[in-house]
Amino acid sequence: MTEKIAELLHELSVRPFSEHAAFSLTNYTFWLIIAVVLLLVFVVVASRKARLVPSGVGNIAEAAVDFVRNGVCVDIMGPEGKKCFPFIGTMFFFVLFNNLLGNIPPALPGTGTVGTTFTWAIVVFLVYNGIGIKKIGFFRYIKALVPSGTPVFLAPLIFVIELISHFLRPFTLGVRLFANMYAGHIMLGVFTVFMALALEHFTATSAIVLPLSFLMSVILRAFEVFVAVLQAYIFTILTAVYINGAIHAEH
Amino acid sequence: MELIIPNTTEMWVNVVAFAVLFIVMWKFAFPPITKMLDERANKIRESLERAEETRVEAERLLEEYKVQMAEARAEATQVIEQGRKVAESMKTEILAKAKEEAEAEKAKAIEAIQAEKAAAMAEIKGEVADLSVAVAGKIIGSSLSKKDHEALIDKYLAEVGSLNEN
Repeated sequence: MTEKIAELLHELSVRPFSEHAAFSLTNYTFWLIIAVVLLLVFVVVASRKARLVPSGVGNIAEAAVDFVRNGVCVDIMGPEGKKCFPFIGTMFFFVLFNNLLGNIPPALPGTGTVGTTFTWAIVVFLVYNGIGIKKIGFFRYIKALVPSGTPVFLAPLIFVIELISHFLRPFTLGVRLFANMYAGHIMLGVFTVFMALALEHFTATSAIVLPLSFLMSVILRAFEVFVAVLQAYIFTILTAVYINGAIHAEH
Repeated sequence: MELIIPNTTEMWVNVVAFAVLFIVMWKFAFPPITKMLDERANKIRESLERAEETRVEAERLLEEYKVQMAEARAEATQVIEQGRKVAESMKTEILAKAKEEAEAEKAKAIEAIQAEKAAAMAEIKGEVADLSVAVAGKIIGSSLSKKDHEALIDKYLAEVGSLNEN
């Protein structure tokens, strides 16, 4: 049991994809690159098929684009949110494709490692602060960390708290996505381990454990598809919220 | 703990992935789609606006036609009414004229009849007088004086006249 779980954790840990490759990718980045290539093919095909009366793959891409552009950008940032769509849309499609690809065995989700999620969260951090600084200047932006009307004696404390909260954002953003994907795969793995063990030492309990584990892994697989979409949405909406906060830093 | 310490190779792969993806999405993939979405939204909005305009125009036309219809109907009623009045007055006029003519005709006829009657009377009177004289002469054998004759004739005539009147 313990060795099987250890094996599962080893399988899910970040390690070189191939010992022999000249440029050694990790197991996660191998699948990440495949997801990115699939995504590129998808969006390029979809953009060539953009018609006033949509059909086929154009429909799916359009629905997703419209969802992010209106359902996330415009809803959170107002009409000017459309300007941020290329960035936020890239985030959404990247996370979504990686999350979904991870649900097709033997692929791993490119977002199931902190190497990916922290990098993208740091990009979000740099972009939203960059937008805020570009809008009102570095010193005013820093000053705006303390809301106007804060009592003077509280201002230093609030400033420190706000600063910490801003620097924690890439961390929480990254961990949230990573932990969801990683935990989902551990759950799936655990029930697979149960099934393997039940088959290996076939006893009376196997008759109960085997079908139940199978049922659970089917249910969890469906749940993971839902989580994949949900986490892409959450990552995207938080990005939009952070950018919106930076645009309206002085309010 | 090693789970949340990122691998630097992975981070570099992701930096490149982000750069490539963002540029391709921003410059090539998204513009046709968003442009088309906006175009479609505009087209739908325009179509709706045009439909609304058409509807308003149709309603206005309908209202106009209704007014025209009512006017036409009122006019027709008026024309008919006028025609009826004209016919009515013509009828009264014609009737009055006819009555008048009939009246005149009747009066003329009565006049003619009376004249005829008077003439006939005069003639009869002469005849009867002569006859009576002759008859009387024959009966009596003597001639009555002219004065007696006349008295007799008048009496007789009065009798005849009263008979005639009945």
